[in-house]
Amino acid sequence: MSATAVSNSRRPRGPVPNALTSGQLPRLVELYTLIGSLAVSAAVLAMTGFSVVGWLVLAAVVYLVGIGILSTVVENRRKATDRVVRGLVTIAFLLALVPLISTLITVVMGGAPSLTWDFITKTGGSVFDPKTLKVTVVQGAWQAIVGTLIITGIASLISIPIGIMAAIYLVEYAQPKQWMARTVTFLVDVMTGIPSIVAGLFAFSLFTLLVGPKAFSGISAAIALSVLMIPIVIRSTEEMLKLVSDDLREASYALGVTKFATIVRIVLPTAIAGIITGVMLAISRVIGETAPIFIAASFTDNFNANPFNGPMQTLPVMAYSGYKFPSQDIASSYQSAWGAALLLVLLVVILNLIARVVAKVFAPRGLR
Amino acid sequence: MDVPADRADSGSADPGSPRRRTAAKVRARPADRIFRFLSTGSAGLIMVILAGVALFLIIKAAPAIAANWSTNPDLAGGTTHGFTSFWSYVGPLIWGTLWSSLIALVLGAPVAIGIALFISHYAPRRLAGALGYLVDLLAAVPSVVFGLWGIFVIRPFIIPFQDWLNQYLGWIPLFSGPVSRTGSTILAGAIVLAVMILPIITSISREIFLQTPRLHEEAALALGSTKWEMVRLAVFPYARSGIVSATLLGLGRALGETMAIALIISPSLIFSVHLITDTKNSQTIAANAALNFPESNPLQRDALIATGLALFIISFGVNFIARWVVARTGSSGRRKEKVVRSLPPSDPTAPAADAADGPVLARRGREQAAEEAEG
Amino acid sequence: MKFNKAAAMSAIALASVLALTACSGDGGAKSSGTPAASTSDAAVDYSSLSGTITAGGSSAQANVQQAWTTAFQAQASNVKINYDKSQGSGGGVTNWLNGSYDFAGTDAALSADQFSQAKQTCGPDGGVDIPVYLSGVSIVYKLDGVKKLNLDAKTIASIFSGKITSWNDPAIAALNKGATLPSTPISVVHRSDGSGTTANFTTYLHQQQPSIWTWDAGTTWPNNVGSGQQGGSGVVNTVEAGNGTIGYADQSSIGDATAASVEVGDTGKFVDYSEAAATESLTQSGTIAPQGAGDLTVTIDTTKINNAKAYPIPLLSYDVLCKTFKDSAQGKLTAAYLGFIVSKTGQQIGAKNAGAAPLPESFLSKAAKTLASVK
Repeated sequence: MSATAVSNSRRPRGPVPNALTSGQLPRLVELYTLIGSLAVSAAVLAMTGFSVVGWLVLAAVVYLVGIGILSTVVENRRKATDRVVRGLVTIAFLLALVPLISTLITVVMGGAPSLTWDFITKTGGSVFDPKTLKVTVVQGAWQAIVGTLIITGIASLISIPIGIMAAIYLVEYAQPKQWMARTVTFLVDVMTGIPSIVAGLFAFSLFTLLVGPKAFSGISAAIALSVLMIPIVIRSTEEMLKLVSDDLREASYALGVTKFATIVRIVLPTAIAGIITGVMLAISRVIGETAPIFIAASFTDNFNANPFNGPMQTLPVMAYSGYKFPSQDIASSYQSAWGAALLLVLLVVILNLIARVVAKVFAPRGLR
Repeated sequence: MDVPADRADSGSADPGSPRRRTAAKVRARPADRIFRFLSTGSAGLIMVILAGVALFLIIKAAPAIAANWSTNPDLAGGTTHGFTSFWSYVGPLIWGTLWSSLIALVLGAPVAIGIALFISHYAPRRLAGALGYLVDLLAAVPSVVFGLWGIFVIRPFIIPFQDWLNQYLGWIPLFSGPVSRTGSTILAGAIVLAVMILPIITSISREIFLQTPRLHEEAALALGSTKWEMVRLAVFPYARSGIVSATLLGLGRALGETMAIALIISPSLIFSVHLITDTKNSQTIAANAALNFPESNPLQRDALIATGLALFIISFGVNFIARWVVARTGSSGRRKEKVVRSLPPSDPTAPAADAADGPVLARRGREQAAEEAEG
Repeated sequence: MKFNKAAAMSAIALASVLALTACSGDGGAKSSGTPAASTSDAAVDYSSLSGTITAGGSSAQANVQQAWTTAFQAQASNVKINYDKSQGSGGGVTNWLNGSYDFAGTDAALSADQFSQAKQTCGPDGGVDIPVYLSGVSIVYKLDGVKKLNLDAKTIASIFSGKITSWNDPAIAALNKGATLPSTPISVVHRSDGSGTTANFTTYLHQQQPSIWTWDAGTTWPNNVGSGQQGGSGVVNTVEAGNGTIGYADQSSIGDATAASVEVGDTGKFVDYSEAAATESLTQSGTIAPQGAGDLTVTIDTTKINNAKAYPIPLLSYDVLCKTFKDSAQGKLTAAYLGFIVSKTGQQIGAKNAGAAPLPESFLSKAAKTLASVK
């Protein structure tokens, strides 16, 4: 989308004197201004004391002011605003990139050393040497990987269909003034506010009623996560479905396609990219939960792949407990905590990739 | 709790049943009816789940709210020590929750929307996919990791910055001292919260910006708008509701965030606006519950659950206000269209814009989908 | 099932007998330095036991329980033990009272109230407290250029109540003759979560210096001094990351942090933590005050600690269990595991792997006796 081509041929509007003759800044003016502001800021800071952060911040301010004035003088105010906003948006982006990349680097740097094949495929735990009475910790995350996949998997199996179907109900079926639609919209709002610890307590209490006091299990943790996940799925899916143009639906009906087929064949595929983004957000949100898992699935160092019986370990819990309850060898505990955190991030990356492939398969063919 | 909602298996299109909106009424086929039942059922299930949670909360919270806080021995020690009633206990927590989320939102939301705009409208197309992916990736970082990152990276980083703030802006109560020497301040917590809500707001806003009808954009440009004016005229009005939804989801996360806050902030149960001290950081509900739950006795646990109920109500209130604000202030196309869309289908003022941009929108959506898949 | 029961029963009988003989045979020797396992203990055969023990509670016991579990499972390969350290003492006891746990780890003995509630959970025999883990609260600090620091109770109380605010305060200087103390301000770091460590530390301050430390002992930090951090690891990290910082933590979680030597009473003798010193500390200060038959609640009066062999701030943690289990096989299994913990080998394993101090012999023999009566 090239704005320059359009703006050359734009027609004047408002108080602009004459667009055809008003000045134009050279093409690379933004680059020059940027270099200029970096230099000026460096010079200023050289006098007061240099720091990288201060330099970048000052340079950004100088740049925005500079390009604004320059463009106002040579071009006009509207163009100046445009350039300033472009600068602001780009700065916002760069600004946000700093913590984001910093987080990723922290996780990767922290986790990479412990990320060996053994760490991934071995069940962690400890071995006891009866001769020396020494307990040695064996690093391993397999039990946590399995636990995470099972618990999040079950939560997703419950939440995604319910969430998407409920969103379909809200967008496609419900009459907006209907009490049920209003109530559900309202309730979804409220549900986003359930604290995760409360979700855990709720699920655990529910299972205590069902199976007795020793209710720690993967499934009860999964229910807790579902409670957290459903509103996110509904919210994002609802937004995406709303964006599907009514013309598509009407065109479909006009061809005599049923409502069901229209939704499944036209509406959902059109919105699939957005829906999957939302679903992945929801999964990402709950896969890293710790509090509800502690409460509903308790904690274990043992391998347990049966979600219906006994405590299960997950990666976020492993990361958290490695930090909060380090063993005597604090460094190695932290190491495995970071390892678990990195594994979790990698796991989500893989899930994201799979989701994107799925989106591609289901997206409408044609204009790829 | 398991609705076998399987939408993929019955793809055979039964021709014949037009949409309810069109007047012609044709008998619904079984697949239609089942589908309708499932989606309505799912919506109904939401009510059941929420009723369950609400019931649980109320039953659990009632004893603590009703208890006499000054005389009950179970509430004499620990976290509830020295409070005369539930309300005096929960008050500062409510304030802390709102305050930290507000700061996080002020810091995070504009940046998040800026990034979304950058990715959707400013970045080179090839770059945009990768950038979008990077941001999505951050949504995947668990809150524990953000907490650890806050401890090991943000805290040391923020200490000189806080000194600077206090030195030059200390006359504003927000930045008055004594400045924290450890960095465990509400400002540090809010920065981490802001980073945590970035990906949520960005991902959803980006998707919505990308869905702006291209005809709207091109029309704006054709009228001679600069890019910013195009964004203001065509993109923002269209995306308003979506941006608010995205921001609310982000806010929901900020309000309920537990571990990161619990790890970073040095909390006090007080009303305070101080940002950079060790001893005057208002505690949040979720973090307070997480910190004190383990060592509490059953009645104190009930009290903590009651604070959870308060959080529940807060997030409802915040959502309610936000929706009300959107309905009040929204004035241009997108809102009108949305209102119209959400009116009964027979409404005669169906949006004209939709008619024009339908196919383009659809194509654009598909392009995006394809692009996403490649990126 | 029957076989299991019988086997378990004989195993526990054997275990307790051996534990008793081991203890009485060993006299007063408390050395934990010998690498070889005590032969008499090793002879106990746990291999016929099977089942799963679900437990949790005190995070102070996190490391030591992991060591005990591993060692026990090494000998009883059909037994699975899950100890959930994230629950905290309060959570552990609550879950135990609800019947979710076979035993709970707690830093405080059952309150009178809880003790009577246990009669509902366990039947008329109720529950018992068994002391299992002994350690000490270390005062950790970081002060550039100061590698060795002596403190007495009065100074500690003054620092942690905010009355002494700089490191070159005359009170500190008087205790550290010859050391050059900088004028760095003191940054106090305490726990932000409810914690048994805080309870033990504030008990010490309260008992030693009631005029300076005017707050009651409790699991949450009572005053508004310093920076609150989550978990012992949070305190230690923050102390380590700063300069002029001081905090307290269970010595098993301090890692490489520097700990101050603490004066015993007014003797002028400064003692560092050691396992032997902690054992001696409990011998001098602890009295068993049973709440019921077989119960081993210990009251600790730190003012009774009077010689330089004892570390002044002990930390004692219990496991609580029912005297009569609903499922007697489960009871035998749990008692066998706890019997292993209070055996000499068990205590040695704790010392070697978690820095725990072996409990005094008299406590261990009583514990073994109580456990032998668990059905």
